[in-house]
Amino acid sequence: MPGKTPHTNGSNPVENGINGADDVEMKDDAPNQLKGGKGKKTKEGDEEMTVVVPPSKSTKLSATPPSKDSNGDVAMDGTEETNEEDAGAPKVDPVAKAISDIKSNFPLLERAVTLFDARFSLRALRSISSIRKRLTPDILAQVIAETYQSTSPAAKSLLVALDREHVAFGKSVSNEMEIDNESKAKNGKKEPKEIIPEVDIFLGILIQIYYLDNKLNQKGAVFSAHLAERIHSLNRRTLDSLSARVYFYYSLFCEQLAPLPPSPSSPVVSIRPALLSALRTAVLRKDIDTQSTVIVLLLRNYLSTSHIAQADLLISHTKFPENAANNQVARYLYYLGRIRAIQLRYTEAHEHLTAATRKAPSSPSAAGFSQTATKLLLVVELLMGDIPDRATFRIPSLERALQPYLQLVQAVRVGLLGEFENVIRQHGDTFRRDGTYTLILRLRQNVIKTGIRMMSLSYSRISLRDICIRLKLESEESAEYIVAKAIRDGVIEASLDRERGFMKSKEVGDVYATREPGEAFHDRIRACLALHDESVKAMRFPMNQHRLELKNAQEAREREREMAKEIQDGDLDEDDLGGEFEGM
Amino acid sequence: MAERDLQEVLPKLKSSHSYQESLSLLSKAKIALLKLNALTPQPTTPSSILLAAREVFEAGALLSIRAKDPDAFTRYVHQLTPFYELPPERLSAANSEKNKITGLYLLLLLTQGNYSGFHTELEGLELRQNGGLVEDDRFLGYPIKLERWLMEGSYDLVWKAMASREVPSEEYGVFSEILTSQIRNEIASCSETAYPSLPISSTKNLLFLDSEGAVVSFAQSRGWAIKDGRIYFPNQVKMGVDEGNEKALSQMVIENTLGYARELETIV
Repeated sequence: MPGKTPHTNGSNPVENGINGADDVEMKDDAPNQLKGGKGKKTKEGDEEMTVVVPPSKSTKLSATPPSKDSNGDVAMDGTEETNEEDAGAPKVDPVAKAISDIKSNFPLLERAVTLFDARFSLRALRSISSIRKRLTPDILAQVIAETYQSTSPAAKSLLVALDREHVAFGKSVSNEMEIDNESKAKNGKKEPKEIIPEVDIFLGILIQIYYLDNKLNQKGAVFSAHLAERIHSLNRRTLDSLSARVYFYYSLFCEQLAPLPPSPSSPVVSIRPALLSALRTAVLRKDIDTQSTVIVLLLRNYLSTSHIAQADLLISHTKFPENAANNQVARYLYYLGRIRAIQLRYTEAHEHLTAATRKAPSSPSAAGFSQTATKLLLVVELLMGDIPDRATFRIPSLERALQPYLQLVQAVRVGLLGEFENVIRQHGDTFRRDGTYTLILRLRQNVIKTGIRMMSLSYSRISLRDICIRLKLESEESAEYIVAKAIRDGVIEASLDRERGFMKSKEVGDVYATREPGEAFHDRIRACLALHDESVKAMRFPMNQHRLELKNAQEAREREREMAKEIQDGDLDEDDLGGEFEGM
Repeated sequence: MAERDLQEVLPKLKSSHSYQESLSLLSKAKIALLKLNALTPQPTTPSSILLAAREVFEAGALLSIRAKDPDAFTRYVHQLTPFYELPPERLSAANSEKNKITGLYLLLLLTQGNYSGFHTELEGLELRQNGGLVEDDRFLGYPIKLERWLMEGSYDLVWKAMASREVPSEEYGVFSEILTSQIRNEIASCSETAYPSLPISSTKNLLFLDSEGAVVSFAQSRGWAIKDGRIYFPNQVKMGVDEGNEKALSQMVIENTLGYARELETIV
């Protein structure tokens, strides 16, 4: 319920006790707290990090009185729970429900400001996905009318954006009274208070989403430009996560406007200055959310018009914030991997893309990202001369999307040039759409190399003519040069005889005599250690917990001392007893 | 006034054939452009000036290729880039030497061994070429094909492409010489590992050299031994290197193991 103050909820243990779902919700919330901007991965799902906070900790957490976090959590659960009850009641009007849902976020935003804790605004942002489907201009207009006083310029501009500037400000309030008397009373108390800019921006984001869902891109772009300007003029740290969202939708609108990205006159190009200045401001204000979002947006922007050199420069001149939201990190790594792959730095590309696919959210709504990242990763693996794991193609969420790539991998693995070219012809458009076409063209030499390797493994001696026929090369001379290059590059162990025109393979050595197994082992250990470090870093400990532990330790020590004393006494007793026994 | 200067200089620039003369004309044209504030396209620059500016830079680029000045050429290419990215309604793509110059730039990157630059440029082309394959273009297809053959190792095809008159324009011929020596060195280093020995006569064909005398001098420059009309390559297996490797390997293993131990200690 919108108006409820956190305090009453927090100190209402009965309510929490009754609700069985409460614990689950707590757990649900916990990982989100660990990673700040999680909710920002647009509307798509959030829970991908499986950092498990032991339940005992969270109960302890809510048990300790000084922890504000726990207080907030409980309060949150309380409101959600009452909302659910609302939904359960059949007679509640869906419009009124949507309105109250939207309004239930305002106290959160206010709390974010007063407590200076970004998590509350993130929670408000997360609730957008549930509100999203029900957004209509009327609902938004009503919310605005109820929230602001009629004289407020901010309300006016928001209403103009919705084409609802004539909404009556008074009427709707009484309307709400019928629904819920209590919340009305609370609202009434709040009325004289200044409406915080966070609420403005939050409503702005809702309007952006409404435009986006209804494909009003032109309007959305104009509105977003205004909104971005307004954000720029406000310097409030509690606005960070909200403003990141605003920029996100702003650039999304521009991408969908008339001349689509590859053309140089696309509006994508024209928002670059705005984004760059936003980045500069964000860096100066140490606004991590906006910084990471804008860097990712700029990279996406440059890549959409394939200005790879510029994107590379941007990367070398900026530093991606270390503790950015997980989803932004995943995207950043993906774009980084893409750029490195184009620059033929496959090892780096592989590293970044692997990290990106691992960090990708596993929820079904974000399947697109992991599909795209996996496609690129597969191509890079092929370019590095590795054959991707067959299991990758069996993952249900990826199976269909990866079908063309499976055929490609098969052609490369067997080393059949004809089949490889067939696949390219057949799926050329798909590859082009995925942006992997030029990378795949580079695979030709890998196919040839694999073919030669297969032949060198199966034959101890084979004539150049046969190689030429097998690989469908144009001439024997080409075959000779290609084989010579393969030998030089260390693809095969063999030698050529020019006069008699054959290739003679050398005996294959023992792999375990080389340093390869050691290196593979080292890589794996390193990955494990990195994983360990990251999970330690990702854990979140309750404030002042260590003091409690210290106290416990002190108590334990005292107890020990007592025990020692007792034992000493006991010893005496024993001695006494023993004495008695002896005596007996 | 500067505009009139520019219009006067342009036809002269196109018709002039002497390098010195063109050079002075070019600098005159550039000063005129500077006065017009049109060295880079501004939103306010009129189309006619944009067109003239592009022509000046294109002439400069081709000239610097003929004069074998890669630095100047690269500079001109960078200056041209913003002009090529203008929308067609501001500057029509007709009569532009864009593909020729981009192709030359690709070839330059290729001869410099700057493969990452080459592919970066190529990636951009692929997207901006609306309709029609990049490879089918006469000017752009040439460097792309060369690169593919070089990567595969089909050096004979590269050689044929350069020797036969497949070269799309005279400017491309400038690079042939550089490419020839480049692939000759590639082939030589491949042969060193691939063949135990080679007869001189077939080496001539292998390295695309004109005479056996040239083969002998080339062999000497690379330190190959010649005996009984055959070339023997110095044995590649160097024991000293292996020993060094052995030492480095064990050192690496020790380092790794110590690292694990340290990490384990922090965990436990």
